[in-house]
Amino acid sequence: MLPLSYSLRNVAARPARSLMTAGVVALVVVASSLFLGLISSVKRTLIDSGDPMNLVVMRKGSDNDGSSQLSLEAYQAIRYFDGIARDEDDQPMVSPQLVVQPFFRTREGGRENVLVRGVDEMAFAVHPAVRIAEGRMLQPSSGEAVVGRGVLGRYAGAALGSELEFGRGRWQVVGILEADGASFESEVWVDVRELANDAKRPFPYSGIRLRAASPADLVALRKRINDDPRYALEAELETEYYAKQSESANTLYILVVGIAVLSGIGAGFGAANTMYAAVQARTAEIGTLRSLGFSRASILSAFQIEAMALSAIGFAIGAASAIALSALLRVLMGGVAFAASTFTTNVVTLRVTPSDLIGAFVLAMVIGLAGGFGPAWRAARMRPIEALRKG
Amino acid sequence: MSTDDTPIPVVAIRGVARHYVRAADDVQALRPISLDILPGRFVAFMGPSGSGKSTLLNIISGIDRPDEGALLVAGEMLNDLDEDELAEWRARHVGLVFQFFNLIPVLSARDNVALPLLLTKLDRAERTRRAETALRVVGLDHRLDHYPGTLSGGEQQRVAIARAIVTDPDLIVADEPTGDLDARNAEDILSLLRQLKNDFGKTIVMVTHDPRALRFVDDVYHLDKGILLEGEDAERAGAAIRMAAGGHVGGGGHP
Ligand SMILES: Nc1ncnc2c1ncn2[C@@H]1O[C@H](COP(=O)(O)OP(=O)(O)OP(=O)(O)O)[C@@H](O)[C@H]1O
Ligand SMILES: [Mg+2]
Repeated sequence: MLPLSYSLRNVAARPARSLMTAGVVALVVVASSLFLGLISSVKRTLIDSGDPMNLVVMRKGSDNDGSSQLSLEAYQAIRYFDGIARDEDDQPMVSPQLVVQPFFRTREGGRENVLVRGVDEMAFAVHPAVRIAEGRMLQPSSGEAVVGRGVLGRYAGAALGSELEFGRGRWQVVGILEADGASFESEVWVDVRELANDAKRPFPYSGIRLRAASPADLVALRKRINDDPRYALEAELETEYYAKQSESANTLYILVVGIAVLSGIGAGFGAANTMYAAVQARTAEIGTLRSLGFSRASILSAFQIEAMALSAIGFAIGAASAIALSALLRVLMGGVAFAASTFTTNVVTLRVTPSDLIGAFVLAMVIGLAGGFGPAWRAARMRPIEALRKG
Repeated sequence: MSTDDTPIPVVAIRGVARHYVRAADDVQALRPISLDILPGRFVAFMGPSGSGKSTLLNIISGIDRPDEGALLVAGEMLNDLDEDELAEWRARHVGLVFQFFNLIPVLSARDNVALPLLLTKLDRAERTRRAETALRVVGLDHRLDHYPGTLSGGEQQRVAIARAIVTDPDLIVADEPTGDLDARNAEDILSLLRQLKNDFGKTIVMVTHDPRALRFVDDVYHLDKGILLEGEDAERAGAAIRMAAGGHVGGGGHP
C-alpha cells in the first residue's frame, strides 16, 4: 500500500485547487450543520420544557394549551386529589393556567403570535426551572407582566419598565423570566384572573399543570384524571406533551436532510471533478507506480484517500465556520424565531452541537467517498503500459 | 543444477511477438523473437525509432504481455501470471529505469527510493536504511531530503537508479536512461550502470540510441521493424552506429 503521506502531500501539492474543492464541501458542511443545529435547538428548547414530575391536564381532545378549556370546578376538584406534591404552606402544587396567543408587534414592524400564559403564584412551584432573573414577580390584579428572556427586546414594549399592549389592556413589565433555555423563555406571564377578564373567556382556565409527589403518584394521578367521568379531562406527562410539540421540527428535519443531500451531491461532483483532473495529470505517475509493482487496490485507495482528505479539510473548515457563525448569530440576534406547531413564536438559542457536527461529518465523508470513487477507479484500472506512454 | 557450464539465463525468450491494433491498422511491433540473456550481462538493444525496442523491453519487464511465445524471466514463466501476480513479481525481481526518470514529485529522494520497499515486509527503519545505502551507491547521500524538482536531470536519474536497485532485483531494465540527459550526465549514468554490473553482478537490459553506450555494454542487439537482426545485418547495423559516433568507439575496452 502507498503511504498516507503520499495522498496527503498530493493534496498539499496543489493548494489552490484543493482549497477550492474543500471550500465547496465546507459550504455544504456550514449549511447542514447550522440547519441541523437549528432543528436540534428547537427540539431541545421544547423537550427541556417538560418536567418529568409534572402532568398537563387539558380538556379531552385538545392537543395544546391554546385550544383547551377547563372550569373552576374541575380545578377545585383536582386540587384535592391524592398524590399531588405540596409546598411549604401545605398547599397542593396545582397551577391553573390560561393561555392566549395574541399578536405582538415586532421591533421590525412585523406581527407574530406570542404565547401569553396567565398564572397564579403556584406556577413557580410547579415549574421549578422558571425563575425571575431581573426585576420582580408580578402582583396579581395590578396589570403587571413578566417577560421571557427570548421575548425581551424582540417586541415593542418588551423591556423591563416598559408597557406591553395586547388584548384590551396595557401591561407593565416588572420582571424578566429565565428557564434554562426552555420555551417558557419565549412567553409572557400575567395574572391568570386578570387575563381571563381581559380575554372575556367563558372558562377561567385552559388547563392545569400539576406536580406529583412521586413517580408512582404521577402514574396514579394520570389514570385517575383520565378515568374521571365528571369533567372529560385528559392528563398527559409534561415531558410527552412537549416532545409532541417538538415533532413539528421533524418535518423540517426531513426538508433539511433533503437539502443537505442535494447540495452534497453537488459538492460530490466538485470533488469528482478535481480528482479526475488529478488522475489525468498524474497518469504517467500511476503507470510508474503500477510498473514498480503497486497493485490496483493500492492505487484505488491512494486516490480515494486523497478525495477523503479533501472533504475532511472541507469538514474542518466548515465545522469551525458553523460554530463561529452560530456564536456570531447568538451575539447579533440573541435567538432565532421559530413558529411552533401551536403557531406561537419560540425564540431559540442556536447552538451547533457535536451531534449536529457528526451529521455534517458523515455527509462530508460520503461526499469524499462518492466523489472520489469514480476517479480512483479510473486510476486503478489504467494499464501500466498505456499510462506510462502518457509521460 | 545443470550438468554443463552454461549458466541459467535470467531472460529466456522463445518466439515472442506483439502487435497493436490501432484504428484500422494492425502494427506488428515485434515479430517472433527468441533470445537468451545470461546473468551478469549488460545488454543493449538498439535500432531506429518504432523498431520495437520498448515493446520488447516492456515484455521482458512484465509491464506488457506478448501475443504469442513463451517468456521465462528470473525463474518465472510470465505467461502464467495474472495481472496482480505480475505486479508482485515485478516488485520482487525487476528494477525499472525510465527515460524521464518518473520520480514521484511529492516524495523526497529517500522516500522515492524507499517506495518499492513498501511492497516488502521490511520495517520502516530497515527501509530507510536500505534507501540511504542505495543512494550512497549512486553517489547521492548528500541529497536524501531533496525533492525531485530541486534535483538536476542527472541527479534525478541517479535517484531512479537507486530506486531500481534498492530491492536487489535479478534484473535491471532501462529504457533510454540517457535519452533526456546531456553528454556528461549520459556518460556518468552509463558508467554507473556499468559499475552496478561490475561491483554487484547485476544483469542489465537497456534500450538506447546513444552510440556512447557501446563502450559500456557487453552485448548489443539490433532491432529493425520488429525483427532482431542477425549475422551480416547485425554487423552492418553495428558498423553504422560506430560510424555515426565518429569511428573511435570500439567494442572491447570496458572501463
Ligand atoms: N500502445 C500502443 N498502441 C499502438 N501502437 C503502439 C503502442 N506501443 C507501440 N506501438 C507501435 O509499435 C511500434 C513499436 O513501438 P516501440 O515503442 O516499441 O518502438 P521503439 O523502438 O521503442 O521506438 P522509440 O525509439 O521511438 O522509442 C511503433 O510503430 C509504435 O507506434
Ligand atoms: Mg521506445
